[in-house]
Amino acid sequence: MSRGHAATNASASNPSEPLAAGSPAPDFLVGNSPDPLWLHDLRGQQVILVFSSAWNPAHAEQVTCYNRLVDEWNLPEPRLIDIAIDGPWYDLTFADDASRVRIPVCACGNVAAEYGVHDGEALFLIDRDGRICWRYAGPPGSRPPEDRLRVAMAAFARHETQTGGRISRRDFVAATLAVTCALSLHPRAADAVSPEPPLGAARPITLQVNGKRVTLDVEPRVTLLDALREYAGLTGTKKGCDHGQCGACTVHVDGHRILSCLALATLQQGKKITTIEGIASGKTLHPMQAAFIEYDAFQCGYCTPGQVMSAVALLHEHCGAADADVRECMSGNLCRCGAYPHIVSAIQSVRHGKPGHAAI
Amino acid sequence: MRPFDLSMPADVPAALALLQQDPKARVIAGGTTLLDLMKLDVETPAHVIDITPLARREPSLVAITTLPNGGMRLGALVGNTTLAVHPLVGTRYPMLTAAIEAGASPQVRNMATMGGNLLQRTRCYYFRDTTLACNKRTPGSGCSAIGGHTRMHAILGTSTHCIATHPSDMCVALAALEATIRVRGPAGERTIPFEEFHTRPGDHPEIENTLRPAELVIAIDLPPPRFARHSAYVKVRDRASFAFALASAAVGLDIATGKIRAARVALGGVGTKPWRAVAAERLLTGASAASATWQHAAEAAFADASPQPGNTFKATLGQRTLVRALEMAAAG
Repeated sequence: MSRGHAATNASASNPSEPLAAGSPAPDFLVGNSPDPLWLHDLRGQQVILVFSSAWNPAHAEQVTCYNRLVDEWNLPEPRLIDIAIDGPWYDLTFADDASRVRIPVCACGNVAAEYGVHDGEALFLIDRDGRICWRYAGPPGSRPPEDRLRVAMAAFARHETQTGGRISRRDFVAATLAVTCALSLHPRAADAVSPEPPLGAARPITLQVNGKRVTLDVEPRVTLLDALREYAGLTGTKKGCDHGQCGACTVHVDGHRILSCLALATLQQGKKITTIEGIASGKTLHPMQAAFIEYDAFQCGYCTPGQVMSAVALLHEHCGAADADVRECMSGNLCRCGAYPHIVSAIQSVRHGKPGHAAI
Repeated sequence: MRPFDLSMPADVPAALALLQQDPKARVIAGGTTLLDLMKLDVETPAHVIDITPLARREPSLVAITTLPNGGMRLGALVGNTTLAVHPLVGTRYPMLTAAIEAGASPQVRNMATMGGNLLQRTRCYYFRDTTLACNKRTPGSGCSAIGGHTRMHAILGTSTHCIATHPSDMCVALAALEATIRVRGPAGERTIPFEEFHTRPGDHPEIENTLRPAELVIAIDLPPPRFARHSAYVKVRDRASFAFALASAAVGLDIATGKIRAARVALGGVGTKPWRAVAAERLLTGASAASATWQHAAEAAFADASPQPGNTFKATLGQRTLVRALEMAAAG
């Protein structure tokens, strides 16, 4: 097949079945900067090709997802610790020697149609010889990418065992990510065959954070916590349990403290959001921040932003005067270092008008 | 969390239409239960409907109002904190205020709503772990809790298919107060007595209440207060705060000259639903307000208990919790 074929000759008006196992995988341009990289160039590696709109490589959770997948099949070599976007490149960082694998990201024409995928979502497993050895095709949103990859991995692992091959974690992740991200990030391929917005697609939202308006392109499933940390770059708010049990993610919405891990970002539009980055006045700390320093109310500091946000909210709540009341009012914020006595002292000092005097 | 589409209907009819079109859609208000379970893959809706905008067109959804009969109405979207700090609710239904304050953390209470509290799902660890069998999550798959760790599990109202507890504190008080749930669906509005709202697991643990398809909880109606002077909510848990109940009791007594004229008793942390202890109420009614009465009533409340090997302690703990609540209520 000529290398330009996939990009120029596909037609969405002539739907066909998804290509079956045994078929040669149609070639296409995976990336072209600085040098063109074709699927053909990945011969000798296994490739998983995912047609899915629900794959957002900007998510930190994707690293976790990949590591979970490769852990499940006991693949050798180190853990993936970061996926960074650098222009037309993805930089994958691995844990062993912080070595990087750089892969190009650039989609080409109507790849989906070339593979016989006209709607819904599909996954193809391509062996070292460039043949499809397994495929999955399903209706839109039928199953999440992680499940699909897991199924594919099972088939892949069996296949590789039978043929005596060995999957390298690094190569697998790089090749999979290259193709997966190329197709999903750049919607041209999917758009040609799927005019309906895909399930749970990202949409722009506007949030008012610390008095500033920020517009973010997020999926409905993105929590306020992830929107703040991963999209708005406000990493002061911490992710502890991510299930509403630890309080590390506490922020204020319209003046009330809430758990940003259990709030959808999309539903916070039109509300005033205040994070730990927004309570100081210029270089003057909020009295509660100063008191936490003065009273040594933290050790490792991870829970501290949430503790401070709760403590600031507490000043305006119905909370009794006694230390025991403060402990009850702070019960939603856990501190694994056990700084509780000093936290109570810091809060009581502010309530009694005797805050500390620390400055930034 | 899996991808989903999010709808934000403008009013109740629009929300009901969406629910009719898509019966598998999930409704979100505070989100404290739903999003938690979605992250665990226990709930996997492809469509989530946000009902918080409904209050703009229908302010009664976020209002606490007095009813002509002397009772009170709590809109389904009233927040837990709003209820907890409401002075009139505190005066008329102190056990409800106490129950709300005993539940969750301030942050969760700032998010959670009345309707969501009614529909809160169990904290059973086996329900929350998709790698384990659970008839509530996957009907017919079995129950991993039976024969497992059962400290948090029910001893009243259990079946051979499910022993999960209902986790709400508020609902225990609502059971004792004989609240009424007001719901609206395609066929219009109807009311459900609280006792009939939640169901026991029986052969179908996946069914947890008597809501019909495409019905929304609109409000909770409280009858005129009768037990404000002698009422209590007592909760026992594994740590001082922010933990689910091992055992709890909501008690309302109507006492005149040392005799109990009427009693309402409900239990939490021990039942598969907010557990109204009718046998205890019968025993209390007409008896004298004295310590022997409390013990008899507590024994009656747990006469039908069927503990697992790992939670036999809960019958004793439950009785002591109820005795404490009765003592506190009687003392006023």
